Amino acid sequence: METLIQVIVSGLTLGAMYAVGTIGLSLVWAALGMLNMAHGVLLAIGGYVSYTLATLWGLPPFLGLLASIVAGAIMGAALYYASVRRLNRHPAFEMNVIIATFGLSVAGENAILKIFGGYPYAQPFKAEGGFRLGGVHVPWHNLLIVGVAAVIMLVIAMVLSRTYTGRAIRATAQDREAARLMGVRVGAVFAQVLAIGGALAGLSGVLLSSITTLSPQVGFDPMLKAFIICVIAGLGNVAGALYMAFALGFFEAVIQFVIGVRFALPLMLLLVIVALIWRPYGVFGREDVSRL
Amino acid sequence: MRGSRKTDSPVIPGPKSAGRRAFLKGSAVAGAGIAAASTGLLAKVNEGRAADGEPIPIGQGAMLSGWAAPDGIEFDRGQKMAIEEINAWGGILGRPLEQRVVDTKEGGPDLVIQAFRRLIDRDNVHAIMCGYNLATLEAEYDPIADAGIVYLHCNTSLAHHGWIQRDADRYFGCFMSDPSEYWYGGGYVQFLSALRDSGKWTPHNNKIAIVNGAQNYSIVIGNSVKENAPAYGFEINYEETVNIPISEWGPTLAKIRNDPPGAICITHYAPADLANFMLQFIPSPTPSLVYMQYGPSLAQFREIGKEAVEGVLYATVIAHLHDEIGQDFVRRYTEKWGAGSSPASGVQTYDQTHLWAISAAIAGGPGEPYDGEEQNRKVADWMRRLSYRGICGSYRFTENAGTHYPAQTNDPSLGLPHQFLQVQDYTQAPVLIAPEPYGVADFVLPPWLG
Repeated sequence: METLIQVIVSGLTLGAMYAVGTIGLSLVWAALGMLNMAHGVLLAIGGYVSYTLATLWGLPPFLGLLASIVAGAIMGAALYYASVRRLNRHPAFEMNVIIATFGLSVAGENAILKIFGGYPYAQPFKAEGGFRLGGVHVPWHNLLIVGVAAVIMLVIAMVLSRTYTGRAIRATAQDREAARLMGVRVGAVFAQVLAIGGALAGLSGVLLSSITTLSPQVGFDPMLKAFIICVIAGLGNVAGALYMAFALGFFEAVIQFVIGVRFALPLMLLLVIVALIWRPYGVFGREDVSRL
Repeated sequence: MRGSRKTDSPVIPGPKSAGRRAFLKGSAVAGAGIAAASTGLLAKVNEGRAADGEPIPIGQGAMLSGWAAPDGIEFDRGQKMAIEEINAWGGILGRPLEQRVVDTKEGGPDLVIQAFRRLIDRDNVHAIMCGYNLATLEAEYDPIADAGIVYLHCNTSLAHHGWIQRDADRYFGCFMSDPSEYWYGGGYVQFLSALRDSGKWTPHNNKIAIVNGAQNYSIVIGNSVKENAPAYGFEINYEETVNIPISEWGPTLAKIRNDPPGAICITHYAPADLANFMLQFIPSPTPSLVYMQYGPSLAQFREIGKEAVEGVLYATVIAHLHDEIGQDFVRRYTEKWGAGSSPASGVQTYDQTHLWAISAAIAGGPGEPYDGEEQNRKVADWMRRLSYRGICGSYRFTENAGTHYPAQTNDPSLGLPHQFLQVQDYTQAPVLIAPEPYGVADFVLPPWLG
């Protein structure tokens, strides 16, 4: 029983980590049809902003968390005005933007390396302690991440379904030209979505680096997993991506326990291949894509 | 948990202490004498010249980014510090050394070869000193041999010996300044056995759980533990291999907790991953002595793990000793690079650079890449001929590799000691508990066993 609880707790932890790492990427992909390869570096920026404020400036870690959300939003909007806005006019936007954001990601990672160096740091924002469940220690911080993932999911769903901004985002996702003809300022929608995606990445960066450690590459592994999750869930399906994040988290924990830790990633990739053969548009995807 | 001063620490079976205090006193004097002789030797060969001649570029391929950056940064610092000192003594025959560094990121043969070719072809380096680079597969040996220069590393790899055995003449300049990882496994089991026999640790049972990293280095050590365990009355009850990075240890810990072993041996060595293991182990510990490979030598391990890492044992064959020479180095290093720096890593390139510089000066200076092979062969010959007492112990090469004490020599003055250390206070550097005669503190039962 204790073992089962441990595996569930590990699965939940991994799932929550994948979920918070995936939300920003999935939202941008769903709303704009844009694979943001700079998502990983936005995670890292969030982590370093929080670290700088809390450790170097001595501010309370909670303020550091808020600042990383704001910084992520600013970086997301800056991404639009510096790059995406120009690329958006070109017919090969979807391919060009992958290359452009990958380049920005490399530049961003090296900028962090230049400023902070490669030495990994402990993230000061962390919920300390935990409780025992059936003989298994459950850290509060892991539950915090699960809670944050759930809250973000609800907030995103409400914003998309009940606000003007959400309707504009959905309209842009469904048919950019039609949305423009109906008076939606598509450029502003792009900026808003990238700012929201950046804010989520900033928040996720703090939460993830508090479980692992803070380094310039902290966003790479979560982004790889987020990409896998988005593909297997069905491109542009935010809710599906979150369900899949938890499903893969549990899958990984079970494989680690039953077969061995080193088999988890290869088997996860095998699962992706099998799933895509079975459902080429993803588990939650449809051929006629209606994003969001 | 706070350590006590050593009275009678366990030893790796080998030479028994015949007047440890006398030996240390003697070696401190001899060590100071040798260190002085080394600097004096360099100064003498330099004949009082100032280092104002044509600069000699020397290189380093260091993992300055990626998960091994805590080590890479220290390797860079160690070499910088050595170069400053050497230049202050007149460089090599009046020629100052100039450092060239290339980031090898996560290591691997592709990145390391690119880095080495840039150092050789673009920067014209006359020698390369590195700490370790990950999983190079010794692919960098051929560019070194083609250029005919000297290269020192601490890859701690058994495969090095294979290259030298195959063609010692071609790879004359390839030196592994520490012993291979093979010795870790047997040394660990012997250490456990000695600890058990001394009565300072009563094992819960005779089982050992092994958690390997997914690199050759870790797997060779894990296999060596498996190979040696039965001879000392231990059995392996669990073996696992994990990838880098790993932050969630739940499934691994669940399996360990299902059949709690007397000892846990983790050969994976990423310090952040190891600290996370302890953070998740401590809330529900098993009655097991926890040993980790190398990673705890870095300050980052203690910064992340804090109280949770107190009691952890680890070993290294290439770190500063805790004697007079070692403490002096630690003081100078932390004064220069800050209290959060890790002299235990920086010392690797520090010692290498001094050893090479003295040999090069005696040989009449280093040769340029491609055109100076004959001269570099003289440098390599001197490196093999000298028994150099550095900060980590004595460098005396066997097949161009450092000599392990006590497995390859029973004379502690002729090898690099297999050091066992324990984190007894996370706010302080770990303490050296074995082998004789270098241990300076007693083993203390970890808090979860006390």
